[in-house]
Amino acid sequence: MAIHTLLFASLLIFSLIPSSREGNKGRLFSVLQNSLDVTGKPVQDGVVLEAGKDMVTIKWKLKSSGKVDADATFKTIQVKLCYAPISQVDRPWRKTHNELFKDKTCPHEIVSKPYDKTPQSLDWTVDLDIPTGTYFVRAYGIDGDGQEVAYGQSSDEGRTKNLFSVQAISGGHVSLDIASILFSVFSVVSLLVFFVKEKKKAKLEQRE
Amino acid sequence: MEVEGKGGEAGTTTTATRRFALPVDAENKSTTFRLFSVAKPHMRAFHLSWFQFFCCFVSTFAAPPLLPIIRENLNLTATDIGNAGIASVSGSVFARIVMGTACDLFGPRLASAALTLSTAPAVYFTAGIKSPIGFIMVRFFAGFSLATFVSTQFWMSSMFSGPVVGSANGIAAGWGNLGGGATQLIMPIVFSLIRRMGATKFTAWRIAFFIPGLFQTLSAFAVLLFGQDLPDGDYWAMHKSGEKEKDDVGKVISNGISNYRGWITALAYGYCFGVELTIDNIIAEYFFDRFHLNLQTAGIIAASFGLANFFARPGGGIFSDLMARRFGMRGRLWAWWIVQTLGGVLCAFLGQIHSLTWSIVVMLIFSVFVQAACGLTFGVVPFISRRSLGVISGMTGAGGNVGAVLTQLIFFKGSTYSRETGITLMGIMSIACSLPICFIYFPQWGGMFCGPSSKKVTEEDYYLAEWSAKEKAKNLHLASQKFAETSVSERGRASTHPQT
Repeated sequence: MAIHTLLFASLLIFSLIPSSREGNKGRLFSVLQNSLDVTGKPVQDGVVLEAGKDMVTIKWKLKSSGKVDADATFKTIQVKLCYAPISQVDRPWRKTHNELFKDKTCPHEIVSKPYDKTPQSLDWTVDLDIPTGTYFVRAYGIDGDGQEVAYGQSSDEGRTKNLFSVQAISGGHVSLDIASILFSVFSVVSLLVFFVKEKKKAKLEQRE
Repeated sequence: MEVEGKGGEAGTTTTATRRFALPVDAENKSTTFRLFSVAKPHMRAFHLSWFQFFCCFVSTFAAPPLLPIIRENLNLTATDIGNAGIASVSGSVFARIVMGTACDLFGPRLASAALTLSTAPAVYFTAGIKSPIGFIMVRFFAGFSLATFVSTQFWMSSMFSGPVVGSANGIAAGWGNLGGGATQLIMPIVFSLIRRMGATKFTAWRIAFFIPGLFQTLSAFAVLLFGQDLPDGDYWAMHKSGEKEKDDVGKVISNGISNYRGWITALAYGYCFGVELTIDNIIAEYFFDRFHLNLQTAGIIAASFGLANFFARPGGGIFSDLMARRFGMRGRLWAWWIVQTLGGVLCAFLGQIHSLTWSIVVMLIFSVFVQAACGLTFGVVPFISRRSLGVISGMTGAGGNVGAVLTQLIFFKGSTYSRETGITLMGIMSIACSLPICFIYFPQWGGMFCGPSSKKVTEEDYYLAEWSAKEKAKNLHLASQKFAETSVSERGRASTHPQT
């Protein structure tokens, strides 16, 4: 019986795991062309942005200094919010990898648009679920097969300049705190009530 | 509120006139185990106790599956998460030791419900934490509730007789430990339901924690309302009516800690249950990072490790009882040592495997062995001491958590060892720390490598040695006497020990 359950569990697991041999495995960031010019400027410089409230003005266009038809294969532009190295310290789930499918530098998508040869601009309000941290903006040029072919970012290569900071929402509410207190008090008080009842019952037994 | 009259039954009637739904021995402990019954008091105690323990496990490990959200909300670092993991299992080291004595004094019903109700606030307050310190603290205090393990084992050892105590202990603990796996599935589902109702990510996870908190509170109520400490009644009621004499705390504790077998079981349990707890904390991350799976997949794999407890740990307990029927206590010891050592070997193996498929296969087999070893441990523990059963159970249980704390500190904190090396080293340490099982020796039954003492020591001699002549004159030892009589079954079928 144990063997059957084990085998069944194994089958269940295997059927749920997607094949790791995806098409774009092994595609490296270092082979991408830096042919996009991207800027990401917060509304006010030097101020910590509040998630859900403050805005970042993002602009992207093809670099004029690049090759003539560098954008020939572009079908979509995907703009993402990326962690600066300082926000990656001691957080392996945000680690930068050269292999694109492993890379976790830019988990938050800002916008994904069909490629337009004209310069684009967007006023983006920082999403409610963006964590506290220091960020920059990166745009990927994606071809018809969904593969990245080029990129551009608002920071330098070392990702130390032109960064901006975000303060996340706390997610807490006064109503939650009140509920916590109420339920906790209820638990402890009912424990005391039970104790008193037990003692009374024991005294009754003694009298019999 | 109508409370069932458990104490009333025990008050004035004699044992001869009491009737139980199941066949019982001289101590009124059930000699059979009927899983689908909820008959008072034996099977009811079983179902109440495993469910309460299950709820505590769900609460203690409710955070790991939601960590990807929580770590972003609270801006946690990997160090914070590691510390919180250690905190979650370290609180109950102390709590398990105390729980053993509390059970000896107040009875498992009150002791366990008191712990469960007083740690529920930690789970509720998780909804309001705003910083890494808050996170570490709520995980620390919520983790105390894992001490309900000791009350589970104590309660089962009080309700079920020798031939079935291993099975009862194993199933109760296994189904409780199941909570560590179930929570990896439950919490993400609750979270997404709450999200669907419109809450933001960073609020939804907070609301989700009320579910384990509520279940913990309600399970404690069930134990208090429907449970009973002993087949004959409740501790307090029985104390007052004189049926159960109150024992001297100091003597109970000193008798327990001076029994070297309790220390060996504590160490060995640290390297089966301790390994299980460590894996509960690190395995999802291991699969996520090493094989680049997405979080849901890593979570399902993590859950399957804990879910094996449904049959693996009970299997260990049942196997222990089966071995005892034929080979007595020596069979229990051999089975335990072999299964635990094999678990260590598989663990060492797991860290060396590079393929995803084989990692999962080895992990599943490893989970069965390590959890069965936990079940086999508590096939032996009820026999080490009768007077200080609670203390021995507490020590052993605490040893499990100490093993988890030590292992995480040595092999899984910071970046000294890669995760895979840590897992291999943990396996090797398991093998080493299982060797002391070879040194457990009962003069009346023998040990792994030696037969029973040539001095023809009886079970009565062993268990009554825990009481002084003065205490025996006061008839304090009668429960131990009855236990000694029923434990003769641990000689096994082919008895080389002549009847005295």
